[in-house]
Formats: sequence, structure tokens, C-alpha cells
Amino acid sequence: MGLIELAAAKALASSAVFLFITLLMMAAAKRISTCIVLFSLQSAIMASEILSMAWVGKSAEAYAVAALVIVVKVVAIPCALFRIIKDLKASQDVASSTTGVQSVFIMAALILLSFFAVAPYAVTLRLDEDMLAAAVALLLAGAFLMVSRKKALMQVIGLLVLENGIFVAALTTTYGMPLVIEIGIFFDLLMGVFLMGLFVFRIRDTFEHLDVSKLRRLRG
Amino acid sequence: MNLAIDLMQAFLLIAVAPLVSGVVARCKARVQNRRGASLWRPYAELLKLFCKEDLVPDTASALFRFAPAILFAATVTAAAFIPVLHPAALFGVSGDIIFLVYLLAIGRFFLMLGAMDGGSSFGGMGASREALVSALAEAPLLLALISVAILTHTVSVSGIVTTTLQQNPFHLSAVYAFALGALVLVALAEAGRIPVDNPATHLELTMIHEAMVLEYSGPSLALIEWASAIKLTLIMALLIGLFAPWGMATNASITVLLFAPLLFFFKLVVLAATIAIIECSMAKLRMYLVPDFLGMASALAILAVSFTALMR
Repeated sequence: MGLIELAAAKALASSAVFLFITLLMMAAAKRISTCIVLFSLQSAIMASEILSMAWVGKSAEAYAVAALVIVVKVVAIPCALFRIIKDLKASQDVASSTTGVQSVFIMAALILLSFFAVAPYAVTLRLDEDMLAAAVALLLAGAFLMVSRKKALMQVIGLLVLENGIFVAALTTTYGMPLVIEIGIFFDLLMGVFLMGLFVFRIRDTFEHLDVSKLRRLRG
Repeated sequence: MNLAIDLMQAFLLIAVAPLVSGVVARCKARVQNRRGASLWRPYAELLKLFCKEDLVPDTASALFRFAPAILFAATVTAAAFIPVLHPAALFGVSGDIIFLVYLLAIGRFFLMLGAMDGGSSFGGMGASREALVSALAEAPLLLALISVAILTHTVSVSGIVTTTLQQNPFHLSAVYAFALGALVLVALAEAGRIPVDNPATHLELTMIHEAMVLEYSGPSLALIEWASAIKLTLIMALLIGLFAPWGMATNASITVLLFAPLLFFFKLVVLAATIAIIECSMAKLRMYLVPDFLGMASALAILAVSFTALMR
């Protein structure tokens, strides 16, 4: 067995754990820029998983999808987010409504919950339980980040994490969607991030802060 | 032959400990763009302290004198449980992972008593802070060790190391990643390194270890400093043994026996550099944030234990 096959098999087997670790670090992170780097890392882990799937399954489409993930999620979106942070000149604090240790414990509980949630399906559908649990954990974690962080940019990052979860779920259950649909999804995502970036600027200009917990009244 | 290696590795841990703190200090100096002191300075410092007079405060009782000796003895005994050069140790009984944790706790307990016996208010303050940190670090330390023990189906340190050594590094269970994360966080707290305590200064109001040893001088101080250096080396050797034991001598041939210490020193230096980078890139936490830091270690350790059942 060659080294590349071994590395591919290992990447497939352990990417779930690395995804969990990025989630826990996101829960512990205090700065928005750390969260962006972690999101980029998370997407890189997904890309390596798709690459190993492509290597094992010998499919050209999967290579294209992996390239798309690397270009859009590992490089383009994090760069755009960093640009937004730089232009906003706002503080880097994520403004969490739970303390660091509470967030980490909640995240750990969500990861355990996702294992129990997928256990029946993994057996009947004969799927990899770890990856399916990772997908559900990413969904839950994205939602948790959106709910508990008050900065408008963190809602964007939470949504991106959630989208990563859907992507991993599609990857584990159906070995990825057709290439055309993937391209459409990535284009949507990129547009979404630009739109949300615009919104963040509008929020900042109208309200002079980014704290979504204070957005209670309409303002013209 | 095995007994000779056992004795040698325990002696090695004790003798090399001041050098390890020298290496950490040097790496730190390099990262901060300084030249740094000689690697052998900790030895010179110990020698200087051993030649000095031992001053005891008027208010102190006999406990103050005995505490450093008990701390040193407990730490040295703990060092004899750690496999370094080959996957066995001088002392090794079933269940010694728990014994190891509490040997370190005994040493710390007597250091705290000695600090409070010294009579200065700093000693009491340092001791109460040390009690807080150690109470919070105990749970994640034990849980992380137990998760590895569950995976390897054995509860002795040398047993765990032997089982890990037989596995292919590519086939390690995912639980190791979580246990490693938890143990690294705990190790920083246990050894009194930067996010929790700053070993390099007497000038901070948040100091923990330095506040406890403020009243000690001469040979007593030398014993305490040596014991804390041994503790740091011991924790690093434990991390190496649990998570990267490959390269330990599995048979008694000469090449393997020469190769094992070299590889061990290489791993120690890598770990020391990692500690130096962590220390230079993080600020010391406020005292009230230390429970948060160790809480994260607990969350990781709990996940590690649950994953022994969930993942294979």
C-alpha cells in the first residue's frame, strides 16, 4: 500500500475528529479573526477529505469540487471577511453571551448530541457514523455560533459553518452532488457573503455598532 | 539489564531536569530575539543555592524545613514511574496512573503547607491560588489519562506506553487527539507555565509558585526549584511516552540503546520549543480566567472519555 493511499485513507478516517477540534476551538475563540482562520482550516479539512475521496474513487468531478472548495472557501471567503474586518475598523471581540468555558462545554454537548442523533440512521443507511455526526455537529455548531455571538460578522461565520455542515452531509450520504449544482451553490455562497458584508457595513453606518442584540427598532 | 535501564532513565530525568528548564528559557529568549543565558545556568544556580545558608523565619515551625524535602522526594518518586528509554519503568504497578497524579499532589500539598507556615502574607496568597489551580487541574488530568487507559485496556503508565508503542502511528484512535489537547492544557497549568503562572518573575501580583517560595532560601530553595524542574521534565516525558513513544528501545541491543536517548532528547527539545512559542505568543491569564482555561481542558477530557465509547 503506497503512502498516498495510506494518507488518503487516514484523511478519510480522521477528518471528523479534526472538524470537531476546529469547532471546539471556534467555541473557545475570543476574536473574530481567529474564527475566520478556523473556518478556513475547517474548509481545508473538507477539501482534503474530498481529495482523498477523489483519489480513492478516481473521479475527475470530485477533483473539480475540491478545487472549488479550496478557491472559494479556503481562500476567497476568508480573504473577503478579513477585508471587511479591516475596513470596518471595529473591535475584534466576538461579544459572546456565554463565557468561554460555557461555550466549549455547550459545543462538546452538541458534538455528543449529534452522535446520538445520527446513530439510528448510520446503522440503517450503512454510512460512516463519524462523518455523519460531524455534519450534524457542524449544523448545530453554526446555529449555536449565530445565536450566542452578538457581532454581526459572527452571524456570517455561523452561517458559513452551517453551510459547511450541509456540504459534509451531502458528501457522506450521496458522495457529493453533481458538479453543476456544486458550482451553483458556491456561487450563491460567494454572493451571500458579499451581500452580508454589505449589510454589516449598513448596520455599522446606521447604528454605529455591530451588536445585533441592540437591533430592536427599525430606523430609516 | 532491564533494571539498569530503569535506574538510568529515572536518574536521567532527575539529572537532565535543570537542563530542560535551561533549554526552555533559551528557546524563549531566541523567540524574543534575545541571546539568552547559558544552557547550564540552572545547574550553576542550584550549586550556588546549595552552598548558601538556609534562613528560616522566626515564626516558622519544623514543617517549613521538611516541606521542600518531602516535595523533592515525592517528585523524584513520581519520576521513577515514567518510561523514558524503554517501555517499562523502575516502579510500575497496576493503577499507577492514579498514584502518579497523587504523588504530584502530595508534593504540592506540602509545598503549600510550607508556604503558609513561612508566615508572610504572600505565602498564604500563593498557596490558596495553587490550591485553586490544582483542584481544577486534577479532574481533566485524571480523565484524560483514564481515556487513554480505556483505549489501551491497561491502567499503568508503562502498560499504556507498551500498547501504544505496538500500534502503527497511522492507526491511532482519534481519542488520542482529544486526550492530548486536554493534557497539554493541564500540563501548562501543572508546570506553572505562562497562561496560568509566570515562572520568570517575582514582580507580578498574580504570581503563584514564586509567591509560595518567597520565604525559602539556600538549600531548601534549591530543592524546590530542582523539584519543579523535575516536574516539568516529568510531565513532558509523560506526554512523549503517551502520545509519541515511537523510537523507545524495545530490545537491548547497543544501537537501539544509543538511539533511544538521542531521540528522546530530540522530542524534549521540540516540546521545549513548543512551550517557548506558547509562552511568547500568549499573555498570562487573569487569575479569574484560570478556571475558564482549565474548564476547557475538562470539556476536552470529558469528550475524550465519551469518545472511547462512541468512536473506534
